[in-house]
Amino acid sequence: MTTRLDRRQILAGTAASGVVGAMNIASPAAAQDTRKTRIAARIDRDLEVLDPGYRTGPWDGNVARSVFQRLMKQKPNSAELENDAAAEIKQSSPTTVDFTLKPGQMFTGGFGEMTADDVKFSFERITSPGQGGRPDSPYKGDWVYLDKVEVIDKYAGRIVLQKPRANLFDIAIGDVSGCIVSKKAVEQLGTEHNTKPVGSGPYQVSAFEKQRGATLKRNDAYAGAQPFFEEIAVKFISDPKTTELALRSGELDFAVLPPSVAEPLRAVSGLSVSEQPSIAYLWIGMNVEKGPLTDLRVRQALRLGLDVDQMLLAAYNGKAPRLNTLLPPQILGHWGDAPVYKRNVAEAKRLLQEAGQTNLKLKLLILNQPIYQNMALVARALLQEIGVTLEVDAQEGGTYWSAGKGDTGKNLDLFLLRFNGKHDPNFIMQWFVPAQIGVWNWQRWNSPEYLNLFNDAAAELDKAKRVQEVIEAQKLMDQSAAFIWLTNEVNFLVARSWLRPAGVPGWIDWQYDSFGAATS
Amino acid sequence: MTKEAARYFVSRLVTTVLVVFGAMLLLFSLTTIVPGDPATALLGPQATPEYARRFIEDMGLDQPTYIRLAKFFGNVVTGDLGIDVISGRSVSAMVWSVLPSTLILTFSAIGLAVLLGVPLGIFAATHRGSVVDHVLAFTSVAFIAVPSFVVAIFLLLIFSIWLDWLPVLGAGREGDFWDQARRSILPIVSLSLAWIGFIARLVRTSMLEVLGENYIGTSRAYGLSERLVTYKYALKNACIPTIAVLGVGVGRLLGPAVLVEIVFARPGIGRLVYDAVTSRNYPVVQGAVLVVVIVFVVINLIVDLSYSAIDPRIRRGTTSQSQAK
Repeated sequence: MTTRLDRRQILAGTAASGVVGAMNIASPAAAQDTRKTRIAARIDRDLEVLDPGYRTGPWDGNVARSVFQRLMKQKPNSAELENDAAAEIKQSSPTTVDFTLKPGQMFTGGFGEMTADDVKFSFERITSPGQGGRPDSPYKGDWVYLDKVEVIDKYAGRIVLQKPRANLFDIAIGDVSGCIVSKKAVEQLGTEHNTKPVGSGPYQVSAFEKQRGATLKRNDAYAGAQPFFEEIAVKFISDPKTTELALRSGELDFAVLPPSVAEPLRAVSGLSVSEQPSIAYLWIGMNVEKGPLTDLRVRQALRLGLDVDQMLLAAYNGKAPRLNTLLPPQILGHWGDAPVYKRNVAEAKRLLQEAGQTNLKLKLLILNQPIYQNMALVARALLQEIGVTLEVDAQEGGTYWSAGKGDTGKNLDLFLLRFNGKHDPNFIMQWFVPAQIGVWNWQRWNSPEYLNLFNDAAAELDKAKRVQEVIEAQKLMDQSAAFIWLTNEVNFLVARSWLRPAGVPGWIDWQYDSFGAATS
Repeated sequence: MTKEAARYFVSRLVTTVLVVFGAMLLLFSLTTIVPGDPATALLGPQATPEYARRFIEDMGLDQPTYIRLAKFFGNVVTGDLGIDVISGRSVSAMVWSVLPSTLILTFSAIGLAVLLGVPLGIFAATHRGSVVDHVLAFTSVAFIAVPSFVVAIFLLLIFSIWLDWLPVLGAGREGDFWDQARRSILPIVSLSLAWIGFIARLVRTSMLEVLGENYIGTSRAYGLSERLVTYKYALKNACIPTIAVLGVGVGRLLGPAVLVEIVFARPGIGRLVYDAVTSRNYPVVQGAVLVVVIVFVVINLIVDLSYSAIDPRIRRGTTSQSQAK
């Protein structure tokens, strides 16, 4: 008996073989051999600009931290600084900082050795007007009061300020705005440096594509300790559900996820989920210049009419810690004795009656994300009980973030805002000074006393005095009742069990170069 | 090419240009009324008022719409779609880097939809009233009703997690054809399912109409095989509405393509436009939308011109009209 195959059977068989073969190519299991040297981490915003002076946010900044060196950098998993490019660095006077670079620190791409001239260029370009068609750096404020950087010799220099700055090391020298770029590379590459950065750090960018992310490859010429992983793929994945599935399938090794997505992953073998407090801060603000909200009693009533714990339960399943003041607990100057306002319906009603405000109608602006929507709905129900009708106005990002600006901001009633923090009280306090009215002080809260305390704290090099000034500033905010503090959030880190991620406490700033294996 | 055909081609070309111009005029007008300033949307708290003003100037938003439009089209003629004010990259380069991904996704989805939808429609038409016809009717409507991103999530759960046959992420390694092909399977299937159902229903309806025509009965009476009657005589006439819909389908697929690109973390022009709109990155919006509009109208132009190639009556009809004059 002979077997004859017709054309249809041959085609069908070939197609089936191809499909089966394609499915077996490079399955996640096959990736195991490389998992110790290559990992993939997820970011939720697309990378735009990797030049530290023009970065668009922490997602760009975290790549810059691993590609560029700074005079000092944070120790792994700490906000404490240690020397990086600097062999020596010291504050020689309230307005001067002397540094000496380590010799032999080479920029990639053949752009030569790092010198004090590169340091001068790196810092001064951030405060100088844009050149060569480039705009001004949006991070001028990080180097506020910088007068100049003097070059003493090839490796030594002096940073000269116009006034003392308490947070110079945390916000400028040790942060992304303190990244040292190659003057030669920036001048030669121009705007191309945004996507092909030239640094001297532990990693270099070997690939960068819009909507995909970047690949960081170990820089063998890096003068310091080599990072653990040879390659880190920084992948842009906007959808948390996709991220969850990619973690389950093994295509991702690390991500920070919202609690509702991260919690189920605790049961997945090979993954670990840890909770790390954030240094972001959320609050409901009130426009103190608008109608009934100009009355302190109304603001106090609204504060007493809400139950912050219930709102956090609805939004974060009880996982997020409550915040009772501006500064999160990890930040210098946190007001630990801040009052914890408990809901008091009777008192709230009494205050409204006293203020002559019954049947109050207000609008709460929020960003259209599930966490904020949940909190807003609970807030609406709670305020209904004290006779306040709250309309929730959920807006997409572009409209939301401009809602408090200029004249548009005068029309705001209440709003739910979230800002990222840094390990410095003045950085967090800066948004509430009078000059920020119509910019980021959506409360339109005008307090000269607060401004004085802010300025004093900015220049105060005595830590104890600075703490006192910062606490006094927070007391003023509390007295104004224009702020209902909610939470500093919690980050859910999901990683392979063998992976030890690293980040500055608060997990806004990641340290790719300090990622390692759990046993190392 | 006859005079009439040439006249038709030129008039369609002019219409195409007018459509592109009209779409861009509408877009430019919208940018003046959409709330939100670009600097704040892109940079957040780092956007000082000075920076916001600089952005507005760089994007030309301080100029009247007609001047912006004229400058834009003046640059487009030289192939310049503008510069992304944030990264300094050329918008052309950004668009061309992601456009192939969307085109592959869209055309593959349409191709798969035709490959499966047409035979299913023919089968349903030639087995009208059978159990298979009813099942196909139900599944076609179900495919149409379920949004593509919902289908995408289900496919991921089944094939990537439960069966572990296919990867989750839809963007393959650059230069690795097989990796990219493997990662395209689920996105293409997600996008094509609704169109499989739609095309199957459309072909079934058209075929039933054509199969009821007198000439079909005559063909059978002459002893022609059912296969020949169905595929050579009936299908050729029945497919014209389907071709028309396919042209529109390419444009319609760009909407769901965005969602599929997001679910599979896949680069694409839909995602580029979406991100640019959210961040008020107007140069990127303008350049990307222009390319999308051009692709859409060119495809529809090709579809319109293909009618006369498929249906000789349309060719003879134009010739007869010109002879009668």
